[in-house]
Amino acid sequence: MAIQIENLRKRYIGPDGSVVPVINISGFALADGEQVALIGTSGSGKTTLLHMIAGILVPDEGRIRYHTNGTDVNIATLSEVERDVFRGRNIGYIFQTHHLLSGFTALENVQLGMSFTGRAPDPAWAKHLLEEVGLAERLHYKPGKLSVGQQQRVAVARALANRPKLVLADEPTGALDSANAQQVLDLIRKLCSEVGASLLLVSHDLNIARQLSRVLGLSELNKLS
Amino acid sequence: MNLFQLVLKQMRQRSLSTWLTMLSILLGVGLGSAIMILQRGAGVLFGQTEYAFDVLIGAKGSPLQLTLNTVYQLDKSPGNIPYSLYEQMMTDRKYRSDIKIAVPLAVGDSYKGQRIVATMPKMFGVDDEGKELDDDHNLGYRPEKHFQIAQGKVFAPNKFEAVIGSDIPQLTGLKLGDQFQATHGMPAPNMPADVHPEQWTVAGVLAPTHTAADRVVYIPLITFYCIFEHEAGLEAIAQLQQGKAPAPATKEAEEEKHYSLNPDGTIDLKLPKSDWMLSAIMVHSRGGFNARNLMWNINNQNVAAAVSPAEEMRKFFDVFLSPSSRLLQAVSYLVTVVAGVGILVSIYNSVSARMREIAILRALGATRHRILTLICVEAGLIGLLGGTLGLLAGHVLGAAGSVFVERLVGEGFNWINVGPEEWIYLGAVVVLSVLAGLVPAMKAYRTPVADNLVAA
Repeated sequence: MAIQIENLRKRYIGPDGSVVPVINISGFALADGEQVALIGTSGSGKTTLLHMIAGILVPDEGRIRYHTNGTDVNIATLSEVERDVFRGRNIGYIFQTHHLLSGFTALENVQLGMSFTGRAPDPAWAKHLLEEVGLAERLHYKPGKLSVGQQQRVAVARALANRPKLVLADEPTGALDSANAQQVLDLIRKLCSEVGASLLLVSHDLNIARQLSRVLGLSELNKLS
Repeated sequence: MNLFQLVLKQMRQRSLSTWLTMLSILLGVGLGSAIMILQRGAGVLFGQTEYAFDVLIGAKGSPLQLTLNTVYQLDKSPGNIPYSLYEQMMTDRKYRSDIKIAVPLAVGDSYKGQRIVATMPKMFGVDDEGKELDDDHNLGYRPEKHFQIAQGKVFAPNKFEAVIGSDIPQLTGLKLGDQFQATHGMPAPNMPADVHPEQWTVAGVLAPTHTAADRVVYIPLITFYCIFEHEAGLEAIAQLQQGKAPAPATKEAEEEKHYSLNPDGTIDLKLPKSDWMLSAIMVHSRGGFNARNLMWNINNQNVAAAVSPAEEMRKFFDVFLSPSSRLLQAVSYLVTVVAGVGILVSIYNSVSARMREIAILRALGATRHRILTLICVEAGLIGLLGGTLGLLAGHVLGAAGSVFVERLVGEGFNWINVGPEEWIYLGAVVVLSVLAGLVPAMKAYRTPVADNLVAA
């Protein structure tokens, strides 16, 4: 799925009532299946941008166009319910911290990602994903019984549960040591290739970003002044 | 993972809070259901119209006291009426044409705390010779239900014999062939008992009727008048009714027997029939009009009063039992509403603690409506489970109540059946729970996803 960002603007209202511009991007694009890194410093608006691309936030202005199978969808104009459904079916999201549900096992957390698409659940695929991320022996472990690296690998498997067309990864290695970070990155890239998903990975770590096919600098894209 | 599995998972995750909320619902519904069962049971028990007799004749005074005393063996007899009235009823066409069956009773003694009732063999469907009466002349204890002798036979009308109710062996230790002496009145515990010298032999044991009759010792009417104290008392009453002062009892009179016993055990009673007194006469009339006519005829003379036991009990139920049970019902509804508020608070707190989880579910594609449904289903499920357990608890309470009432009046009530009002109540509790869940559900509905994802 190809994505086209055009004239995207987002502002927040500060506590004193002042308007704080956060995003002002004239445009960039992701090709179908492309794996792109977006680098930027803390507070530069990386997460806000990803939330808008995922339809969690709505931009004040601009378009976020998804091209797939001959259709063109601007997620910014969809209703909230339509955005939720679109996200559930087409987008996998990996957070900086794993954001797993503590009362659910690893397998249930992955299956949970399949619960909101309206499609038939696929437990075999959920198991396959966990095997792919090296957790075949930990299917029924709850997050509290897994290491931080293992938790993040479950989160990677969950993001791929619905065979998404786009994976958004918000500093997925930020909380990991270098060895675990490399493992998780490799898994994300491998699984995205396996399902044919485009990848937009946000990081402040240039070493991580450089391993992807293209690196975008948010400071260059985001014209706030 | 479907919606239901997801809800169950969430509930299990917060099992302590879930159980405590369910417990509060359980208590409210249990109390409400128990009150409904008791109300229903009391309605059937005390508000019933299914008596074997439709007219009760006794002393003028409290109709309710007369009914409670005769039907449920509760309270004291309101007084005496002359035996001659019974005889008149059986012979005079004015009364006779209205009467199908009439059975006289006299009460005043007890055995080990259980009431002794003096009556005639026809109470048990046999005549004085022991021949079975046809159904039209067999009073029974409920319409179409006749006393059955489980062991032995019905007492002879003129011997010191007794027929005991089915609970009497367990309550007093009496069994077929045993002899016993009656105690005057119903002495309070630790009070000296005035035991009559006469001895009765248990000639028969009744099959269970599940009425107050199961706890009664029945003796022949004539034997009741053989007891000196009764005889002296009855003579005194007769003298008073004639406007004379009763003569004080002398020791000689006390020592002299007022009956003689034949070699075959039959009694020759010296007390004239004009001195005989009764506590009540149970009448099965020939129909509704006849019952009214008989009551009118009896109530228009000064000797006795005639009442409809069904009407008296219905009045009793409406005046005393119904308002108090309605009050209890209102309390149980309040408890249920409080439990509903408990659901609201519990789920509201849980939603506040789960803002991050809700945001994650939203990020995974769960719509606002799905989250709203999730919370409401959880609240409804807590209401349904708590309510169902409450119904069970209510019926256990109902069973305990039935045992208590059975001990009190010899008759329990049906505590097993779930009445339509209980199903409606359960439905209302589930609806209330869902409504209580709606407030936290709206909070979850409005959860700003991005803020909660970042805050986490």
